[in-house]
Amino acid sequence: MSVAFKAITTENGKGIFHLFPALCKGCGLCIEKCPVDTIGWAKQLGAFGTPVVEPGHGKPCIACKKCQLVCPDAAIWIERRDGKGRSDSGRQPE
Amino acid sequence: MALAAQPQMPRVWRAETKPHKFCPGCGHGIILKALGEAIDALGIQERTIFGCDIGCSLLSWDFFNLDTIQTHHGRTTPVLVGIKRVRPELVVVSYMGDGGAYAIGAQHLVSSAVRNDLVTIIVVNNTQYGMTGGQMAPTTLPGQKTETTPYGRDVKLTGRPILGPELVAAVAPPGAYVARGSIANVVQLKNFIQKGLLNQIEGRGIAFIEALSACPTNWRTNAAETWRFIEKEMAAYFPTGELRTPGEAKNGQAGEGTPGAPEH
Ligand SMILES: Cc1ncc(C[n+]2csc(CCOP(=O)(O)OP(=O)(O)O)c2C)c(N)n1
Ligand code: SF4
Ligand code: SF4
Ligand code: SF4
Ligand SMILES: [Mg+2]
Repeated sequence: MSVAFKAITTENGKGIFHLFPALCKGCGLCIEKCPVDTIGWAKQLGAFGTPVVEPGHGKPCIACKKCQLVCPDAAIWIERRDGKGRSDSGRQPE
Repeated sequence: MALAAQPQMPRVWRAETKPHKFCPGCGHGIILKALGEAIDALGIQERTIFGCDIGCSLLSWDFFNLDTIQTHHGRTTPVLVGIKRVRPELVVVSYMGDGGAYAIGAQHLVSSAVRNDLVTIIVVNNTQYGMTGGQMAPTTLPGQKTETTPYGRDVKLTGRPILGPELVAAVAPPGAYVARGSIANVVQLKNFIQKGLLNQIEGRGIAFIEALSACPTNWRTNAAETWRFIEKEMAAYFPTGELRTPGEAKNGQAGEGTPGAPEH
């Protein structure tokens, strides 16, 4: 069975920030782990009707993927703008 | 045709049951991501059986594309050991909370450790009973406020927090793999879990991994306080690292990597 999630995609600094609102529960763990403080609350609402997150609130994204790593809900996928991000392991686009 | 961006879930995750049932910011999701990536890396999805316990771990009953069973406090381990004895080619993962592992079902953990059963046990240490509303567990830190210790845990009355991996490392025979990781270091945690699965696959003995986790709901913490509690308070009492590493024995050395562990 295949399921598809819609992404909100934002380019910022070195990264392409894909956020899947249906998965984001608004916990804020990613915000605290971003080394350049670029992640902040967005206007859109997520899985539980709480705000989702977006980049663009601090210094430019350095594509370190820390936010993706700590998200308990796999709601973030960081691609590098230089194209090196597609080699991520895990579920690939179907 | 352009491919739409999709979440980078481990392949063994069951996408149609996501978002999963855990609270916002719950550490269970991060630990099950590390476990999923370890299962993917070893290519063992077709022969892995997942067992979850009672407590919030049971919210993972439909989490993976794996045959899954749920049992009561700590009994997950003997149930999976039974499956392993009947079908030794399978890889069995026993997943539970600190209350189930160290209090209500502690006898099963101790017996499996002494027998060096071929099972990989992952214990989620969130310092209390999450599912039932945050009561004190054996892992509750000194002075920590919970539903049943509203003035903070009094160690004179209730003892000091249990050190699970140290306990297992002290009683398990050679061949056991024992480690403590944390959701504050996901890469290391995934590495420990993968080594723990390999220890079972290679038939060396029991694998025991405790994962320091978060329960923001019962801790009543925001994201900044959650990370601070794990990285400062929990890490100070529960040191992370490997306690027993039998897979790394070289040149006739013990390879058990247990400074100060009893001789067997
Ligand atoms: C014998 C018995 N006593 C008490 C309970 C109630 N109970 C259900 S879950 C739970 C606590 C589980 O805590 P833990 O194992 O730490 O898991 P967590 O929810 O924190 O992940 C308790 C006490 C029970 N189900 N069975
Ligand atoms: S990839 Fe790194 S720098 Fe970019 S938003 Fe995530 S945590 Fe911040
Ligand atoms: S860690 Fe994940 S679920 Fe939590 S706020 Fe960030 S993107 Fe949303
Ligand atoms: S109560 Fe705690 S352990 Fe249980 S799902 Fe919620 S955050 Fe996770
Ligand atoms: Mg618990």
